[in-house]
Amino acid sequence: MAANAMSRRDEDEVCPVCKSSRYLNPDMRFLINPECYHKMCESCVDRIFSSGPANCPVAGCRKTLRKNRFRTQTFEDINVEREVDIRRRVMQILNRREEEFDTKRNYDDFLEQREEIIANLVGRIDVSKTEAQLQKYASENMASIRANQTLEQEEATSFQARISLEQEQARIRRQAARQEYEIERREVQAGREDFLTRLASGTSGDAAAIAREGHKVLLKKSSARRSEEDRIRQKQAALRSEPARGAGVSSAADTGLVKGLRKIKTPEPEKPYDPFMGYVPEKRDYYSLQESYPSQFLDNYRNNISVLAGGYDLREYYSRTLLEAFAGLSCFVDEEITQRDAARASKPVATEGAAIAAGQSGTESST
Amino acid sequence: MKFFIDDLPVLFPYPRIYPEQYAYMCDLKKTLDAGGHCVLEMPSGTGKTVSLLSLIVAYQQHYPEHRKLIYCSRTMSEIEKALAELKALMEHRAKELGHEEEFRALGLTSRKNLCLHPSVKREKSGTVVDARCRSLTAGFVKEKKERGEDVDLCVYHENLDLLEPHNLVPPGVFTLDGLSRYGEEHKQCPYFSARRMMPWCNIIIYSYHYLLDPKIAERVSRELSKDCIVVFDEAHNIDNVCIESLSIDLSEDSLRKATRGASNLERKIEEMKSSDEEKLKNEYTKLVEGLQEAEKAREEDQFISNPVLPDDLLKEAVPGNIRRAEHFVSFLKRFIEYLKTRMKVTHTISETPPSFLTHLRDLTYIERKPLRFCAERLTSLVRTLELVNIEDYQPLQEVATFATLVATYDKGFVLILEPFESEAATVPNPILHFTCLDAAIAIKPVFDRFSSVIITSGTLSPLEMYPKMLGFNAVLQESYSMTLARRSFLPMIVTRGSDQAQVSSSFGIRNDPGVVRNYGSLVTEFSRITPDGVVVFFPSYLYMESIISMWQGMGILDQIWNYKLILVETPDAQESSLALETYRTACCNGRGAILFCVARGKVSEGIDFDHHYGRAVLCIGVPFQYTESRILKARLEFLRENYRIRENDFLSFDAIRHAAQCLGRVLRGKDDYGVMVLADRRFERKRPQLPKWINQAMLDSETNLSTDMAVSNAKNFLRTMAQPFKSRDQEGISTWSLADIERHEAKRKTEEERMMREEVNGNMDGVIPSASRIVEDEFDDDIDEDLMMLDAQ
Repeated sequence: MAANAMSRRDEDEVCPVCKSSRYLNPDMRFLINPECYHKMCESCVDRIFSSGPANCPVAGCRKTLRKNRFRTQTFEDINVEREVDIRRRVMQILNRREEEFDTKRNYDDFLEQREEIIANLVGRIDVSKTEAQLQKYASENMASIRANQTLEQEEATSFQARISLEQEQARIRRQAARQEYEIERREVQAGREDFLTRLASGTSGDAAAIAREGHKVLLKKSSARRSEEDRIRQKQAALRSEPARGAGVSSAADTGLVKGLRKIKTPEPEKPYDPFMGYVPEKRDYYSLQESYPSQFLDNYRNNISVLAGGYDLREYYSRTLLEAFAGLSCFVDEEITQRDAARASKPVATEGAAIAAGQSGTESST
Repeated sequence: MKFFIDDLPVLFPYPRIYPEQYAYMCDLKKTLDAGGHCVLEMPSGTGKTVSLLSLIVAYQQHYPEHRKLIYCSRTMSEIEKALAELKALMEHRAKELGHEEEFRALGLTSRKNLCLHPSVKREKSGTVVDARCRSLTAGFVKEKKERGEDVDLCVYHENLDLLEPHNLVPPGVFTLDGLSRYGEEHKQCPYFSARRMMPWCNIIIYSYHYLLDPKIAERVSRELSKDCIVVFDEAHNIDNVCIESLSIDLSEDSLRKATRGASNLERKIEEMKSSDEEKLKNEYTKLVEGLQEAEKAREEDQFISNPVLPDDLLKEAVPGNIRRAEHFVSFLKRFIEYLKTRMKVTHTISETPPSFLTHLRDLTYIERKPLRFCAERLTSLVRTLELVNIEDYQPLQEVATFATLVATYDKGFVLILEPFESEAATVPNPILHFTCLDAAIAIKPVFDRFSSVIITSGTLSPLEMYPKMLGFNAVLQESYSMTLARRSFLPMIVTRGSDQAQVSSSFGIRNDPGVVRNYGSLVTEFSRITPDGVVVFFPSYLYMESIISMWQGMGILDQIWNYKLILVETPDAQESSLALETYRTACCNGRGAILFCVARGKVSEGIDFDHHYGRAVLCIGVPFQYTESRILKARLEFLRENYRIRENDFLSFDAIRHAAQCLGRVLRGKDDYGVMVLADRRFERKRPQLPKWINQAMLDSETNLSTDMAVSNAKNFLRTMAQPFKSRDQEGISTWSLADIERHEAKRKTEEERMMREEVNGNMDGVIPSASRIVEDEFDDDIDEDLMMLDAQ
């Protein structure tokens, strides 16, 4: 590759296109184009590309370059420069976050996969296939990519804000310390002067007393200052411990390229209040109750006043009989027994056998 | 001599003991009994080491716990001295007790000092020795050998495997020399013998770094149990050691080398892929499973260990994006390239780790987490690749260490990028300093882990500074004065020259010809009246150079030359040691010599000027640090914000501890004598900050002297000192025999009893508890008035 030839360090003094050296042109600046990463000096770029897109002047490279894409090189190593460009593009698409994954392991797998994709693109292995994968992923997951991008931006800005806040606070503290020191110095000086003038004006008798007093005053002042300092410090500590804004967790769908994403749980809409916990009182599973059933021995009672007078209701009878007839229909004893056996897998064989026997007899009796 | 402290029998290897030694031992025992940390300041030259060792050995042997002692000192010569002292002590104990105790004590130092391998030991640099040693002793090399490949092994190291693992050396005390000799005789490696024997030793003596530097401590000192007694001797600089152990400097050159290292790694990976892909796969699966911990079987041959302190270590799997070897190498390359771009700045930048990380992520998409695992991942990779010539990867390792540190610690660190070496330089030589500001970070695990940590030195004043800076609570802080039968040292503060003009090294007047001349005449006068050796300390090399050249112009050096040979310390270690040797010769043969050195240089730290090697020490100017340094400024701010130590307090504390350290150099025992002169007007105000033993010996009349007065004082002093002085005169005052101790003990007991009795009496009276008695005292006047009123009635 031509790019490899460019990475040698000793060449950066001569422009590979016009061969002018730094000796002739001390302010020579080199520019590159992310299309092919061939380096050339600024004057060459002006000369060749001013009148519109043209082919790269480096022999063997037929890429068409435009002037506006030329930029200065950030990294010394051109391979790293290229890798970082590719990485930027891939990272913008594959920008899943750790909290979107079920386990750390899945996240690590994702990181490795991303690294693999970047390595493929850098090493020009399966470029078209990888690109297609990426494009597909990008179009499928537009929403989550957007969301994560904004999240990242928010984090960056909040971090910036925090940093500048901290710097500001540090500056204030520094200033306060300086001021305090200055005040103290002035106080000490003033105290000393005061002490001297008092000594000068006083009598020789009370010199010792004045000296002692002066010392005491200074001490008191310094202790007062200390407590003041304490207070300020506490205030600052409180300022510092301002709660940091937590980052919101976004949810995403499982996609073809990225595995192990956490499932999104959409919260279920709230149901109306159900006092019987799911039991519907008048519901019948297997039958519906009718007004009357044709039955000879019941006809006698239908219009018999002496029976009905006590409040006997035939509908009551129907409903009870039908309930009794259908009761237990959805219970499958066989299934329940196998389930129970599976649960008690560790049980000794003898009891297991007994249970099976009991189960069999149970089914027999039920059938 | 054998005596009892409480119920503990102590065997002291000398027939006499100094009172302060006795007090020191008593306090030490109290601390050990109570369990906790302490700060003890004991005058230099009063046998600190021997009292410490004899008490702790007695303590170990008497109580059933047999607590292990870890004794840390600063330089190799100090370690050797302590070992020799211990050996003498154990011999004395054996003689007194009539039997040899089951006891092991070993010293540990670098491979360079202990290596016996015929070709490796000839290497000059320590890192090369380490690397070559590893290439001969690492586990995989041995495996290769077993597979029948042709590789070199170190026979000294191999022989160790034939011995019993817990009995590599017989019981007893081995000095470093002795251990080397034993190793030579038995053809076994002294370094690895010492390292592997550490769990079975009663006493281990080594340098601070083995405990403080997390890169080393994790490997060497991991297995030490919790109840060990840790002693930091000569600990006045311990905060700086802590800070240095976590600080890293990166230069452009080291980055270039790191790039080369990364490319080498890449090539090696390619090679291994084609030849032995299995290994890389194994490593990969291990990393995926998060099993890197399991691989710590033979930590001796680890390339680098994690620079992060054990508390902060992440116990997680390596993140996915550096799991594969090739991804990791490209990650490293990107990081190095980023650092290179940062190096191109033209003005000084100081930055916090979080803002550095943000910028890094914006530019290269390197996130914090993989960065944290950098050092660990590199170790694993190097082990997998079985690299032999490890010294080539030194710069890469530095970068990885830096990466891990910067991503781990938010607070207490700062990044400073200086494009120029000095203010005046025009050729850029950028250096990235990653500086630790908080001494407490490195030493915290030590305090957390060990129940008794003892910090001791000749100059620790003010004592409360150390617990504050290092973040611990001391159960005992004590400073001992020096009991003397005669006044054997004369500390003086000279504030004025003979012409009554004030002398000072403060920035405004330091190059004033008058001040320089006054300093010159001070030095001349002292070189005239002092016999044998004189040592002069300057605050910095820069100032020393300028003042010496001015003295040359004034003809002062010619005058000094008449009395003394002039020798100068230089930053170059070899030149300085030559100068020192000449100085010693000149002092011995009577020519007399004067040594100009720097208060923060090598001479001020480790070299003793006992007896005739130093009869006078002059400290010219207050040895303040260079306050314009960015690193110092950052540290001062940090101290102010977090520990509430004000800038000026810290600066003056630091200056005074260095000055005191310089003064302590001349007095190395009680039969020694010397003059100590502090020549700066600012010392007068700083006098209370000096260590207690110096401060007490200084008379009030000697704190504001002019040169001529100081000279006449010194002349008198030296004349007195020249009188014959029998050691008998000291007995009972500054040296105690057993009888003296018993008398002292009895006196103390009666005193205590008296106090007890008084207390009991006070309680017996019961009417007035002591508190109210004090209150009553305050109102004494009122009572008098009442009485007077009574009288009047």
